[in-house]
Amino acid sequence: MSAGVVIIGMGNPLLSDDGVGIAVARAVAERLRHRNDLALLELHTGGIRLMEAMAGYRQAVVVDAMLSGAPAGTLKRFDAMDFVTSKNTFSSHDTDFATAYDLGRMAGVPLPEQVSFWGIEALEFDLFGERFTAEVAAALPGAVNRIVDEIVNGRAA
Amino acid sequence: MTTRITIDPITRLEGHGRIDIFLNDQGTVENACFQIPELRGFEQFCVGRMAEEMPVITNRICGVCPEAHHLAATKALDGVFGAEPTSVARKLRELLYMAFFVTDHTTHFYALGGPDFIVGPDAPPSERNILGVARKVGLDVAGEVIACRKRNHEIITFLGGKSIHPVAGVPGGWSRPITEAERVQIEDTARRNIEFARFSLTVFDNIVLKNPAYLEMITCDTYLHRTYSMGTVDANNQCNFYDGLIRVLDPEGNEFARYHPSEYREHIAERVEPWTYLKYPYLKKVGWQGLTDGIGSGIYTATPLSRLNVSEGMATPLANAEYQRMYEAFGCKKLTGARYQPIHHRMATHWARLIELLYASEHMLELALDPEITSPETRNIPDPARFVGEGVGSVEAPRGTLTHHYVTDARGVLTKVNMIVGTTNNYAPISMSIRRAAEKLITNNAPDESILNRIEMAFRLYDPCFSCATHFLPGKMPLTVALHGSSGELLREMRRKG
Repeated sequence: MSAGVVIIGMGNPLLSDDGVGIAVARAVAERLRHRNDLALLELHTGGIRLMEAMAGYRQAVVVDAMLSGAPAGTLKRFDAMDFVTSKNTFSSHDTDFATAYDLGRMAGVPLPEQVSFWGIEALEFDLFGERFTAEVAAALPGAVNRIVDEIVNGRAA
Repeated sequence: MTTRITIDPITRLEGHGRIDIFLNDQGTVENACFQIPELRGFEQFCVGRMAEEMPVITNRICGVCPEAHHLAATKALDGVFGAEPTSVARKLRELLYMAFFVTDHTTHFYALGGPDFIVGPDAPPSERNILGVARKVGLDVAGEVIACRKRNHEIITFLGGKSIHPVAGVPGGWSRPITEAERVQIEDTARRNIEFARFSLTVFDNIVLKNPAYLEMITCDTYLHRTYSMGTVDANNQCNFYDGLIRVLDPEGNEFARYHPSEYREHIAERVEPWTYLKYPYLKKVGWQGLTDGIGSGIYTATPLSRLNVSEGMATPLANAEYQRMYEAFGCKKLTGARYQPIHHRMATHWARLIELLYASEHMLELALDPEITSPETRNIPDPARFVGEGVGSVEAPRGTLTHHYVTDARGVLTKVNMIVGTTNNYAPISMSIRRAAEKLITNNAPDESILNRIEMAFRLYDPCFSCATHFLPGKMPLTVALHGSSGELLREMRRKG
């Protein structure tokens, strides 16, 4: 398990576009299924749970829906350092990811040095349903390609 | 003229909510309310599906308490299919639930509720978090919290059949028996949990109760509401998280009602107010008198404190000793052999939560030592001749009584779904606590940050989680305070980083 890459899809797959992070994560894992150093995880809530989920891996790639005001389907990449939060990466039941990450470090949890966050702008996020809006569905293949490319080739300069 | 103060979003609250405080010309509080946007379409999403999907659908509603929804849904299915779970199945469900309670209450104390006390209500928000707690209590505590979560999540994962979203609940039982090796692991975990719970109570004692300012904050009347108390009790009228009858006491401590969860509609009604989508549940037989407390108001509370209020002592020895200590500390008189006058000081909910943490740990050990816990007889297969087509499942979620109610057609296809989630029970008391805190603390138009935090503390004590019934729109976590005049103009806006 250790020293590999963990791809973490966040969100609720029953809540329309909120599930896009999980769908992208699943598709990325499927594209890279020939690799034996890649694990897929799905999480509904972040905070301490998210920090715990990446423990023991060399690299973590987190994909989540976001509500930033950008056009629906927009893909954005964040480094851990400049990341505030996307839609589900904090848990207000405990804390945000940055605090959880510091907590993990304080507690001696082996956390990855490389953590990247990918946000996909959602449109419909408070209606129960298992379909994406057209804008988000259209953005899905491009998001998968970019994330796969970065995992395989490293970050473009 | 009314001035409006908005606190939005609420830091450290699961789900998105917003507080509106309305000031009058004198700068004192006219009113305060709590508004929450709602997730839409849940019933429509469920109707037409097979009822047996519900334990794995409802555990996706909320990322915080999937275990509570999974068990309430599974119990509702017991009713729909007329299938009583076997004795060991009940115990395995309870075992999973105790492990869940330990993680949830631990997380609340150290990450959510505790920072206000341990780091202090006047500390900057950037320090008032679990890292601040660790700096104050000792860095080891960070590792202890992580270790506690880890060992209990391992048990939840193998008992529930899956990490995060359990799948083992089936009508009439539990699909996953445990081995002797797993039992040993559970026993060891339970013993560590007991030690950790006792340590947590000592922290509370030393840092909170021995600090006169914090003790005053807990015992003063700012956070005092004399409401009815609700909780699930066993045959001995002792607090039980998994199963039993719903017991309701009036504010004086007299038993007002004791009923089977399936009778909830006879006892609970829901009030709809124009300013919010969330409904205010209240005691039907008392009636709705608005957001007010007292014996004539049907508002009730369903929290760790209310569960202890309705309980005739605790069912485990260490928790019972702590229970007695808390009620004695508040000077409550004994009403029966084991039960005291109810405590209405809401800040005591934090103390009650730690007593529940100890109880859950002790009960987990009892279950691990139960001779039949490794029995493979974990399921009664439903008999089609006993099919009922309707079921109500109820558990105590960490944040209040959780009720699932399903109706199906003769094929077991859902035709109706209703839920009262834990936090919803407390919507009226939360609104009252916010208003009271605002009234007591805001005396002019310029509330400072610590005062606003004290208002947040008024609802944080309820451990509210709105992601069940509602949704959150984070994006960022700063606190925004906006003051509006009566015609809606923005008078002033203050921001702080979460």
